[in-house]
Amino acid sequence: MGSVYKLTLRQLSGRWRLLITLLLTALPVIMGITWRLIEGDRFPDNDFQDVALNGMLAGVIIPLVTLAISSAAFSNEIEDRTLANLTLSPIPRWKIVVPKLLGALTVSGAFLVTSAFITSYIAFSGDLDAVLAVTAGAAISVALYSSLFVWTGLMTTRAIGYGLLYIFLWEGLFAGLVSGVRFLSLRHYSLTVMHRLDDRLFSTSEFLSTGVVTGAAVTVFVIFLALSIRRLRRMDVP
Amino acid sequence: MTNSETMNNSTGSSEAVIKVENVSRWFGNVVSVSDVSFEIKPGITGLLGPNGAGKTTLLRMITGLAAVSDGNITVFGESVRNNSSLYSRIGVMSEHETVYQFMKGRDFVKMMGELRGVHDLDNAVDKAIQLVDLADAAYRPMGTYSRGMRQRMRLAATLVHEPDILLLDEPLNGADPRQRVHFQNLLQSYADQGKTVVLSSHILEEVEQLADTVLLIVNGKLAASGDFHAIRAALNDRPYHVRVVSDSPRDLAAALVKLESIDAVNVEADGEIVVLSRNVRDLQIELPRLAKLADVRVRRVEPLDDSLESVFGYLVEG
Amino acid sequence: MTTPEKVVTASSSNGAGDDAEGTVFDIGYQHYDGPREGRNRARLSVYKEGLKISLGLGRGPRAKVLPWLFIGALTLIGAGMAFAAITIDRLAGDGTAEAVGLPSHSDFYGIASILMFIFAAISGPELLCPDRRDGVINLYLVRPLTGTDYIVARWGSFITIMLVVAWLPQIILMTGLTMGAEVPADYLKDNWLNIPKFLGAGAALAVYSGTIALLVAGFTTRRAYASVFMVGLFTVSTPFTFGLAQEIGGTAGKWLSMFNLSNIPMHVNDAIFDSVSGVTMDAPAGEFDTWVLVSWYFLWTLIPAGLLLFRYRRLSV
Repeated sequence: MGSVYKLTLRQLSGRWRLLITLLLTALPVIMGITWRLIEGDRFPDNDFQDVALNGMLAGVIIPLVTLAISSAAFSNEIEDRTLANLTLSPIPRWKIVVPKLLGALTVSGAFLVTSAFITSYIAFSGDLDAVLAVTAGAAISVALYSSLFVWTGLMTTRAIGYGLLYIFLWEGLFAGLVSGVRFLSLRHYSLTVMHRLDDRLFSTSEFLSTGVVTGAAVTVFVIFLALSIRRLRRMDVP
Repeated sequence: MTNSETMNNSTGSSEAVIKVENVSRWFGNVVSVSDVSFEIKPGITGLLGPNGAGKTTLLRMITGLAAVSDGNITVFGESVRNNSSLYSRIGVMSEHETVYQFMKGRDFVKMMGELRGVHDLDNAVDKAIQLVDLADAAYRPMGTYSRGMRQRMRLAATLVHEPDILLLDEPLNGADPRQRVHFQNLLQSYADQGKTVVLSSHILEEVEQLADTVLLIVNGKLAASGDFHAIRAALNDRPYHVRVVSDSPRDLAAALVKLESIDAVNVEADGEIVVLSRNVRDLQIELPRLAKLADVRVRRVEPLDDSLESVFGYLVEG
Repeated sequence: MTTPEKVVTASSSNGAGDDAEGTVFDIGYQHYDGPREGRNRARLSVYKEGLKISLGLGRGPRAKVLPWLFIGALTLIGAGMAFAAITIDRLAGDGTAEAVGLPSHSDFYGIASILMFIFAAISGPELLCPDRRDGVINLYLVRPLTGTDYIVARWGSFITIMLVVAWLPQIILMTGLTMGAEVPADYLKDNWLNIPKFLGAGAALAVYSGTIALLVAGFTTRRAYASVFMVGLFTVSTPFTFGLAQEIGGTAGKWLSMFNLSNIPMHVNDAIFDSVSGVTMDAPAGEFDTWVLVSWYFLWTLIPAGLLLFRYRRLSV
């Protein structure tokens, strides 16, 4: 599994890709710095949380970066027709999927979780509860989106299109409008985690209970991982 | 264990390494492989046929990369699909030439060896790279390789775990003559060790020189199988039916019947004649000449053994 | 026996059969003797093909799903808006919908712009990236077609599609509102001005998003990267510039807000409809004079167009 993991890391770490990811993940940090410079020690209010944490980080940057990286984990190999190198090995399919997922998690997580940490550390003036909450929320978010998009990359060559539809049409539009659907929005899970770890965050919104969100998050992660393994077994490898 | 002088379609099933039984594959409405059955034994088997005949699909099914729509494939007596443990004994080189550009050749072979559970990895890797004569370039990224080098390194990656079966899809694409000879020697020595090599190609000469047994695939069907030379002989013994439509069938028939290469001429009720010949090339040359001499206008010439036409095009030296 | 195919046709007794050695068989190859059209035909061809690619036509069912999903979603929004307005008017009397401030033509693009940006981000790269990735662009350029011809034709086809996507929902909305009114003719007489307005606003949005999508696609060969980059540009610049502008305030804040890429065509929309839509309501940039906003729009449309042209002009076989 180590060789597939290392291969994935290498495949997903193209120069341009890393540069743009760096740029994107730097933006929330800039916002954090701006807040600190202008507002000093004041606890970031709902506006800041809504724009920087919800709007930017959880709503756009985390999903987009994980989409770009995780869907590429398999779709690049399928497009380049090198996947057979891996599947023609006497190893169970999960030993291919898991390191691929871990590789995607590592690359996107390194940037996104770091960004979340630095942003919250600066903006919340080192308040450990808040920092932990934001960072944990980001980490869970990265894990869930990665699992989902690795599977999407296996299922279709147009993973990006469907991924964008999901992020902006489903999570952006619907889940915002129809409250019953919140259960089906990964973005909401990460915000819930943030809130449950530090209830000063997003204090004005309604959230699922800690137990429910934990169970749901684990379930989602495992389901898409299992679906990916199943798909790899059944598909015709180019 | 010897490999040469293999028999056609024999019943020695204890020796058969790969068994394909009534296998078909379709994609929607398109039938790519149609009810094909054969057995492959140790030695070099050539999978021959025109482009689009279904060779690649067939190979992919044998390697388990693609599913069968109907029928059964077993390798070493086990089903190959979703049976990844078999891959430690199978080496596959697909027709796709893409490699990981950034990876050094040696690292690629090493990774493949690792994935396939090779013990004593470094030695195996060195040995495989030596076999393909690429030791000098092994530490360069494969993106810098020429096409031939890429193919050879891919072959090294295919051989590193010393599989019992080697399945190669168009392996000599783009190989220069020297590489071709080297490659052929390599495969021959591999087969001499009692291993099984299946080589797919649309190039007659490659297969002719290497393979003892040939499987000829045309339009998704198995058109011929067995010893290469025996097939040619069989085809030469089988008369070829050609219909000729002309203005004066009997005059033409009378002229044609004098040819050595003609077995028989049948005059049909509608005035068309059917020529049975074992040497169509001769017929192709003589027919217009004789027609002109006899002052007969030939309107149409049709081969009636459609599949043989294509088969023929492959097996006739020319 | 399989049915025979005509492989060899008659070699007639006059002509090539003179000597026994060389024989020529007519196997059906025919020289093309028809008309040969010129550059304009080539350009038109690239244009028409661009239309088909954007809509996934002629490429199997899977290619159609995404573009038609977006078109469907946008149309649904337009229809939904019409339906809501008609229902309210029916229940509470004509004119209520307007009085209540239900979203209408001027608000449509505020709601739908994100979908249009994503549609552009997904379809645009399909037009340009595969040709360069697979090397097919060379086949185009050996025809009587220059790089400029190619990109102009592709741009033309993409903008055509974007215009249809932008206008169709509005037309449906207009139709719905007209038919749903008590006296349709009166409604149309009172509100016909909306038509040129939404045509203009839609065109502004279509040309802007289409051109930028193609520009991004012109610089990479993998469609996925182009799509994500473009969506990232639009969706990240929005909260980023907004948040910063709020914090910093003042003129600096206003100029920062100008870099909210998704709002640039919306300010034009506001100028045309002479109203402020939901998305631009809080934008500090809205405080600038109209001519500044409109010029800014043209800057952000013409410069990308120029860059795109420049990029393809220099392409040669």
